[in-house]
Formats: sequence, structure tokens, C-alpha cells
Amino acid sequence: MISASHLTRRFGTRVALDDLSIELKSGEIFALLGPNGAGKTTTLRLLAGLIAPTSGSVQVNGEAMTAASASKLRARIGFLTEAPGLWDSLTVRENLEIYARLYELAAPRRAVDEALALFDIRDRARDRPSELSKGLRQRVALARSLLHKPRIVLLDEPTAGLDPESAREVRELVLGLRGEGRTVLLCTHNLDEVDRVADRVAVLRTRLIAAGTPQALRERLFAPRILIRLRQEASRFEASLRGTGITDITIDQRQISVALNGTPLSTPDLVRQLVQWGAEIEAVVPEEPPLEDVYVRLLHSEGAGQ
Amino acid sequence: MSRMTALIGKELVDQRRNPMLFMPVVIVALVAIMLPLMVAIIIPRLTDEKLSDSSDIEVAFEMYRDQPALLTLDPEGAIQAFIFQYFLLIFMLVPVTCAMSVAANSIVGEKQSRALEPLLATPITTMELLGAKVLGSLLPSIGMSVACMAFYLLLVLLLAQPGVAWAILGPRSLGVVFLLGPLAALAALQLAVCVSSRVNDARTAQQLGVTVILPIVGLFISQLMGAFKLTGPVILAIAGGLVIVNAALMALAVRLFDRETILTRWK
Repeated sequence: MISASHLTRRFGTRVALDDLSIELKSGEIFALLGPNGAGKTTTLRLLAGLIAPTSGSVQVNGEAMTAASASKLRARIGFLTEAPGLWDSLTVRENLEIYARLYELAAPRRAVDEALALFDIRDRARDRPSELSKGLRQRVALARSLLHKPRIVLLDEPTAGLDPESAREVRELVLGLRGEGRTVLLCTHNLDEVDRVADRVAVLRTRLIAAGTPQALRERLFAPRILIRLRQEASRFEASLRGTGITDITIDQRQISVALNGTPLSTPDLVRQLVQWGAEIEAVVPEEPPLEDVYVRLLHSEGAGQ
Repeated sequence: MSRMTALIGKELVDQRRNPMLFMPVVIVALVAIMLPLMVAIIIPRLTDEKLSDSSDIEVAFEMYRDQPALLTLDPEGAIQAFIFQYFLLIFMLVPVTCAMSVAANSIVGEKQSRALEPLLATPITTMELLGAKVLGSLLPSIGMSVACMAFYLLLVLLLAQPGVAWAILGPRSLGVVFLLGPLAALAALQLAVCVSSRVNDARTAQQLGVTVILPIVGLFISQLMGAFKLTGPVILAIAGGLVIVNAALMALAVRLFDRETILTRWK
């Protein structure tokens, strides 16, 4: 759908992006993570054909993004920039209509009507963007970037600065895009959001540190753990557990977190043992480290490797 | 082309909703209109002195000897026509001020609202974007210029001696309004594009861009001091100079108005 091959971009002597290769598939949400200045926005701009790479290439549906083809290929991409960038002197409808005409849509008014309905902003169509809440402005900007029904959608921090309810609405709209089979590249600092919506994640710090599904990244960096919630104080079982050969144990009041890799025990074995020792078990769940831990560890390992 | 017209339409709506943008132009236009009227009509009436008693009548006849329309005017009308035509250069300030004000506001405004990046993400080419910005500022400038000239001629028709309005409505006036005015406006707004790329405040852009009025004021003063007369060849020579200035400014504006430069270097 859209791919980058050995994409490098320098600004003078500064390397903003170094040798990035990614491929996004139809109907997937791909999240790009990284600290400030990691090259996320540069990546989006390169993929959207707004700036040219120093080296490497971008392909959209198999067609190379060049100076000659960029204008045509931009028509296939929807780009939500970090700032909504709406024209405050124009109404919401007028903002969208100008963009519908910039995309040379056959029926711009109808396209705008559909977008207003889809994003539930019909009743605010005559308002100026300055009269809207931040969340609504973001929704208008999202409607604008999807007016031409692009199959590829690039979103630069779509929920930054939004209240939880507005962020959730935007997230649902993004999930809706995946449901329609569109390719979504999402740039964000919100790791919880990534965990909720992304099919694959790439961590970037000028160059690609890691990429994969959130689960694969977790498994790559952290041993699988099990969390057992008890009715009684958990510390009384710690010594017995260590006696079975488990070394990685964390006790927190009535919770036991253990890593079973490297031990002969399986989860049912462990539960059976605990019950035999008199434990009253309320819940047994696989424990997943938050994506934030994965992200931080990836960045630290990258830092240590440098 | 349709993308350009879409954006020009947006510029015009923007201007219509922001009438204060035209306040400097209105002030300049009032000065350009009132100054010759004061000199040629109001002051002589207040002082009860005829212009034709002045020695300038010979200069007026000298200037107009190639214009048959002047021969039909009485001496008072001839010198009025001379004054009205003399002040025509001031009218160049109207499109220049308008272009500067509109273009600076348009570009700096979009920088401030960060509306340029989403715009650049559409299929619009940078030349279309620059073209729309230039035409979106040039069209109202020419419109203002024509409206001011029409109002000026109407006042001359109503207040000056009979025949004066027709006498000044010749190739020179039309050359100033329809050739020098748009060329000067084009130079001003291209300067606004260049200046706007480096500043984040429309007023700063306008203040820097206002330097473009200095050559016009210089021309006017030179004319008053008798350095030259605003004849057809002089108008063509000034137009030629403006074409060269415009070509140089366009090369600079195109370089600054590059998609990459806007996104990565415009601060």
C-alpha cells in the first residue's frame, strides 16, 4: 500500500531520519513511536510527498513518489497534520468545501455534506473553527483529511491535547478507518492509545529501533509473566514458590507476579501447588508489561548500544 | 487551474470578512484623491485666487501641447488638468498598499494558524499556491485602484472645470492605473511573500514591505522638482524597470515559496 525503502533525510548536517524501511498493509493501523526529534513528523512528510528524501524512496501502491508524481500521489493520501490548521475566517463548511475543490472532487458539496454527517459536525457547519472546542476542531481537521476518501491516512498526533472523551472519539474514528480497509500510519506519544488501536508498532530514534506487533515486542523484551490474585496475604507463599525453582517473583500485598520461563512449571502446575499450600485464588491472568515499559526499554537498549 | 481558483476564492472570502485589512488602503486612497483636489480646487476657492494667474500655466500648456483635449480647455481648466495628472503617480500607492497589506496578512496569517502544511498536503503544486496567493492579492489591489480612479474622475467631473475629467482620461492616466499600478502592486506583493517568509507578524511584514513606496514617492518628488514629465515614454520606461524588478522578486519568491522551504525553514 505504502512503503519506504532506506529512507534518509538530512537537513544540512543534521540527520533527521536514517535508513528507514517500512511497509504498511491495507487495513492496518501502524503506530510510529519515538521521542521528540526522532524523525516521526519527517517520516510522515516524506511519506506524504511534502518533502523529498535525501536518499531512499517512497512507493504508493507500487508507484514511486517523485517530484513529478507527488501531486498525483498526494491525492491518494490523507494527512492530518499536528496542528488542525483550519482557516478561522471561514466556516467549517467553507473550510471543507475549499479542500474538496483542492482535491478536485466531482461533487464537492455532496462530499462535504457526507463528511459533516460522518463526523457528526453538521450542526456546527456554519461555525468558525475558532468557535469550536479543540476536540471538534480536530474532528473537522480529520474530516478534511478524509474528504477525498484516501486509502492511506497519515495521522500526526491526532489526540494530542484532547480531553479523554474527545480523544476516545478520535480513536474510534481511527478504528473505523481500519474497518474500512484503509491503511493508517499513526504518530503519537500516547502509548496507551497505541496499545488500544495499533496492529503494528515501530520505535524510531532517527533510525528504526524495532518494529512488530505490540505483543511481539513485549515477548521480545520481557519474559511472559503470570499474575495471581489471592484472598490472603501473598508473602506467606513466597518461600514455597522459590523452593520450586522460580526465581523471578514479585509480591504485592495479595498479588503474586511470577515469570515461569526457565522453570519446569506450567501455569496449571503453579495454580495446583498454590491451592495445595492453602492459597485461595481469586484470579489468574497473564501479565503484560505496559507498552510504555517496552518503549522505554527499547530506547534504553538503543542508547546503550550506541 | 481549478485548484488555484478554489484558493483565490478562499482569499477573497477571507478579505471580505476582514475589512479592516483595507483600512491603510482607504487612508492612502483618500490622501491620493484629496491632495490634488485640495491643490487644484479647494484651496483656490478658499483663497479666491485663480490657478491660471500662476506662472505654472506655461508649464501646464507645455506638458499638454501634445494633447488635443487640452486645447479646448480654458486656462483655469488647463492648469487643473495639469495638477490632476501630476498627482496621478500618487495613485500607484493604492494598489501597492493594498497588495502589501493583503499578501502579508494572507501568508503570515496562514503561517500563524499553521494552515500551510495541510494545504501543501493536497495535490496543489507550489506554483499553483504561489499563483493563488499572488492573484488573490493582486485582483483586489487592481480593483481598489480602478475604484479609486473612478471615484477620482467622478470628483474631478463634478468639481473641476468642464472638460478637465475628459482631458486627464488619456493614455497617461490609463498607463499609470492599468500598467504601472498593477506592476508596482505585483512587486509589492512579491516583496510581501519574501518578507513574510521571514517574519511571524503581518504588521512587521507590512512595515518592511512599505519600503516599496519609497521609489514611488521619489518619482513623485522628482516629477514635482521638474526632473521629468510623466509622458508616455517615461511611463513605459518605469514599466520596464518594474518588469525587471518583478522578475528578480519572482525568482526570489519562487525560491522562498518552495514546499520544502515552507515546511522546514519558515519560522
